[in-house]
Amino acid sequence: MMRWLMAVAGIAAVVMAPLVGAEDTPRLVTADGAITEIVFQLGAGDQVVGVDTTSGYPDATESLPKVGYLRALPFEGVLALKPDMLITSDQAAPAENLNRLSRAGVRVEQLASARTPEAAMRRIERIGELLGAVEQAQTLTGELRANMEQTRKAAANRGFRPRVLFILAAGNHSVMLAGQGTSAEALLNSVGADNAVADIKGYKPANREAILASQPDAIVIAESTPGQFNIENWPGIERLDAWQAGNRLIADSMLLLGFGPRLPQAMSQLSRVLPVDSHVAANDS
Amino acid sequence: MIRDAAGRFRFGPALVLMLAAAGCAALASVTSGAYPLAVADMLNVLAGREAADPVASMVMMEVRLPRFLLGFLVGAVLAVAGAILQGLFRNPLADPGLIGVSAGASLAAIAVIVLGSTWLGDWIAFAGEWALPVAAFTGGSGTVLLAWRIANRAGQTSVATLLLAGIAINAVAGAATGLLTFYATDEELRSLTFWTMGSLGHATWDDLLVGAPFMVLALVAAPWLVRPLDAFLLGESVVGHLGYRTDTVKKVAIVVVGLGVGAAVAVSGLIGFVGLVVPHLVRQLLGASHRVVLPLSALLGGTLLVAADSIARVVVAPAELPIGLMMALIGGPFFLALLLRIKVT
Repeated sequence: MMRWLMAVAGIAAVVMAPLVGAEDTPRLVTADGAITEIVFQLGAGDQVVGVDTTSGYPDATESLPKVGYLRALPFEGVLALKPDMLITSDQAAPAENLNRLSRAGVRVEQLASARTPEAAMRRIERIGELLGAVEQAQTLTGELRANMEQTRKAAANRGFRPRVLFILAAGNHSVMLAGQGTSAEALLNSVGADNAVADIKGYKPANREAILASQPDAIVIAESTPGQFNIENWPGIERLDAWQAGNRLIADSMLLLGFGPRLPQAMSQLSRVLPVDSHVAANDS
Repeated sequence: MIRDAAGRFRFGPALVLMLAAAGCAALASVTSGAYPLAVADMLNVLAGREAADPVASMVMMEVRLPRFLLGFLVGAVLAVAGAILQGLFRNPLADPGLIGVSAGASLAAIAVIVLGSTWLGDWIAFAGEWALPVAAFTGGSGTVLLAWRIANRAGQTSVATLLLAGIAINAVAGAATGLLTFYATDEELRSLTFWTMGSLGHATWDDLLVGAPFMVLALVAAPWLVRPLDAFLLGESVVGHLGYRTDTVKKVAIVVVGLGVGAAVAVSGLIGFVGLVVPHLVRQLLGASHRVVLPLSALLGGTLLVAADSIARVVVAPAELPIGLMMALIGGPFFLALLLRIKVT
């Protein structure tokens, strides 16, 4: 009896083995929030076996193993997930670990960070190629381009370039103004707006006087966690004409700054809060 | 018996125990990690044979082995530097962190990271891989020298002045680091943040090649300080009476500390705690003679750092904790517990 059972079990194991092992879908690790979003959007979410800590969207990423921060990717941690490919951006570090991963047989694809809508679309198409989902990628970028067209028209009809104050808030003790050369500025430019604090370089701690002096036409607050920014602690912002006039947007920082598949959504949300004519001009004259 | 009449551990048995602990830590270090390796594969790789998993050899030889060696060396150097400074200043609070060596070394290293595109750029390009360790070494020894100069009046070193000078140097170096942080680009900034928490996660044979000579030199020179440092315990004037040149001793000590800590900071970032606590631990267990304190601090420092690193890379796998955090998280409570159990002498 026992021997018979074992024989059956043995045969079953032999028969089942190829079925169990027959996973030809590649295993992916994605590091960089926007790239993870794109991979999920292109329908390859079930191939993702691990993400980095900047990947919090869509919700399905929550149940996946987190390999740590994009700029401190661990070699063994990523390798342990046995990925066939690591898709990440040029922000990924340290370089030694990326080199080692590719030498250990993991295909490491580092994509350029997108800073313009066109670059964002190209990145989606590139990921489509990597995933063997070229058509899905083209369909997606086609839709996204059509969506952005609306925003572009709105920008063209505006007739002036609004100056926008862009604030990055990771809690009330880390409130930064987005200056020159940031992806926040790139987003503003993509909807035909300018940075109201262009004399600041990069992200710098917010200065209450600079906020008052900037006299923006609109205000954008990007929160790393929803509900994080408490306007009561920033009466200066509340006092700005743009805030009073309702030309303000508070949204998730990954949505606004990721330059991923939600970019058109970010652009249209931003575009909608931009005034049709300049407050400052109206007040001054 | 493993304890002497005074209740302290004897050197021989203590050495054997610590070597055993070091062996265990080494074993833990090369066998643990996020990537699962079969025992047979590990043995095969270490024996130079082919492993069943083709990646096994790479994980062992290119990742875990250099990481273990670098970790042990860094831990040993930090602990010995702490022991030397505590002996030199006859103050149990002196450590590379407190008198500003680490801050000076990290300021210089951060300057190399941030100022790569300015006038320093040419030099950095010229120095290549050596830029960071050389800068960290210069920064580290520069700050020890400065602290010592400030504290030295008419040939007498005032310990209180030295610690105060250390605090001031730490503040200035911290502010200068902050200033560099302020001007750093977003990308540099995010690298810096992780660098200051310390990590052995990217240790390569190249790092070892660049950093190890400085650290080994520091460890090899340390024994020369054993007798003079014992003399310092009896008071600075005694050092001269016993025939040592006080000034030379101090200078050698400073060079050893600057060299070792500078190189350690350069390859692993900021790792606190080891330098302050390990010499204490050894003194509690074995007495204050530097003939015992220096070698066993090296052994224990290396062991502790390697053990902490082994934990740091599995506890939140597949991610890794920065080793500097790990050291303080484990070491702090452990040291407090020890303080409560043993009467401080």
